[in-house]
Amino acid sequence: MGLIEAIKKYNLTNPISNVENSDAFSYFLNNGIPTNKDEEWKYTSLKQLVSNDFSIEAKGEEISQDELDKSTLKTKNQIIFLNGEMVKKPEIDGVLITSYTDKNPSFEDAFTALNAAYANNGYRIHVEKNVHLKDSIEVIFLSKNTTNNFIQYRNRIDLNENSSIKIIEHFKCLDKNLCFTNSLTSINLEKNSNIEFNKLQNHNDFQIVVDNTIINQDEKSFSTINTLLLGGKFTRNNLSFYQNGEHCESNMNGVVILNNNEFGDNHTYVDHKNANCESNELYKGVYLDKSKGVFNGKIMVRPDAQKINAFQANNNLLLSENSSINSKPQLEIYADDVKCSHGCTIGQLDDDALFYMRTRGINKEDAKTILTFAFASEAIEKLTIDELADITKKEMEKKLNLSLN
Amino acid sequence: MLKIENLKASIEEAKILNGIDLSVNAGEVHAIMGPNGSGKSTLSAVIAGNESYEVESGSIIFDGEDLLELDPDQRAHKGVFLSFQYPVEIPGISVSNFLKAAISEKRKQLGLDPISAKDLLGKMREKMELLNMKKGYLSRNMNEGFSGGEKKRNEIFQMAMLEPKLAILDETDSGLDIDALKIVANGVNKLKNKNNATIVITHYQRLLDYIVPDYVHVLHNGRIIKSGSKELALELEEKGYDWITKEADKKWD
Repeated sequence: MGLIEAIKKYNLTNPISNVENSDAFSYFLNNGIPTNKDEEWKYTSLKQLVSNDFSIEAKGEEISQDELDKSTLKTKNQIIFLNGEMVKKPEIDGVLITSYTDKNPSFEDAFTALNAAYANNGYRIHVEKNVHLKDSIEVIFLSKNTTNNFIQYRNRIDLNENSSIKIIEHFKCLDKNLCFTNSLTSINLEKNSNIEFNKLQNHNDFQIVVDNTIINQDEKSFSTINTLLLGGKFTRNNLSFYQNGEHCESNMNGVVILNNNEFGDNHTYVDHKNANCESNELYKGVYLDKSKGVFNGKIMVRPDAQKINAFQANNNLLLSENSSINSKPQLEIYADDVKCSHGCTIGQLDDDALFYMRTRGINKEDAKTILTFAFASEAIEKLTIDELADITKKEMEKKLNLSLN
Repeated sequence: MLKIENLKASIEEAKILNGIDLSVNAGEVHAIMGPNGSGKSTLSAVIAGNESYEVESGSIIFDGEDLLELDPDQRAHKGVFLSFQYPVEIPGISVSNFLKAAISEKRKQLGLDPISAKDLLGKMREKMELLNMKKGYLSRNMNEGFSGGEKKRNEIFQMAMLEPKLAILDETDSGLDIDALKIVANGVNKLKNKNNATIVITHYQRLLDYIVPDYVHVLHNGRIIKSGSKELALELEEKGYDWITKEADKKWD
């Protein structure tokens, strides 16, 4: 039974009672899983994957303490989900952490609609006014199943005025069955608040992730989203920023290193709705073996949004004849006093640099790894959490050594 | 130490080296001079193992071993060093990390124990002093944003760290002002001993005032057309290349 049939069957045993959720579900049924005919999914296909048998929100298998310990980054503050259920959360002054059900879920497309229809699992973090949390909060979603499973999360983070927080989010699939996660996180930033949100996506070959992250920014708020896509069967990240006040800043750093048959798609959107705001975007991609990537970066500058600085760069290395990347910058600018730049490059390793390094005694494989690592690391220079920077570097090296040596 | 016999090499069908013979012994400094396009840089690239060039015939024997059978990194481990005319920028890796990688690999291949971080840093500091290099240089990215002079100095710094048996300096003087030239030449001279050898490739005589060669060879159309003592370089400075190249052209026509 493919995913759609499984969802329909799930709906029969888990009927939706309230109207908002059922509207969302109808939208999903009418539109179905997006195909290549949809402009936003032109180079991204789930067709094969969704034809697999799936259970929906399966209860899952027991996860041992040992498995759990090996899966976390051992940071101080952890929110842990096991098979959809929150089992641990930290107690922090000025920060309220609860499980979350969205009472009035909105949606934009088929996946967010399906997520809205069954928005039952997730966390909410509420940071009170003037609270600046120094230690990061690590959120980990662990799944373990004896069948292919489809699971959804809907999360919400609210930062009140003049507060700041750092989050690390990661998903981990502990069994050799497909884990399909459809998640949505909305982040609401009040005036003068600041979030650093890190997506550690070092997924294994059984993970399929469709993620939506939506950041709503009030005036003078500051956001940085670091996407560390270092593996996974299929990943689609939709990352959207809405600048609802003046003097906002939205930053994106992305590193993508994929090998084998992995697929990764980063769709980003920045909506400059007000004047005097800034956005900075840097995505670096390395595609090895038969991996494929998509980058689509849209920047909208509305008519009243003067004095905008928007910078975007997507640089890629294709390190195999069978790897590919489709990169598309999209700028829509309706204001006249703005500074916008975008650049996209696709290349191979520089032979002159490789020769130079080899004449110094560095062997070919190491030279390739060093050059590739150096290329990708520009996008991780700004990681501020030591535990995260360490594991990111380790995972990057592991991946490059596997495919380049 | 180095014996090149009848070396012929080409790039993309173009024949650049047309039969080079050259012997270099330990303790010697050889200068290779010649007009632009004579094959000077090709010769150095082929000795270092640049795979863009195809070696058609001949041999390069280094310490009894056929260099042409070895990869560029293996040649480096045996003690061959090339100072590039145009050093390559490698963003994202610092000078110290780059050298650490190079030296670790070399020691590993030679069966030596790894060098401690402390000893390595001490050695770097010592060699930096030799070349009048500023603090903070080690943490800069390899050649990135370096001036022409800084890049050349960085080449000699790497040479000092790697302690090669045979150093080939390809146009090391180009892009250097006279003060920088003196510092670089002084560094090269201090690194010289009876067990190593240097090949200085240059267009102009100027550098040879500071790095004094035992032998001077003139390269033209991929052949060594004249060899002599250091006085030959002075003669070339005075008369230019025409008087020997014309003679050679007649001979090879």
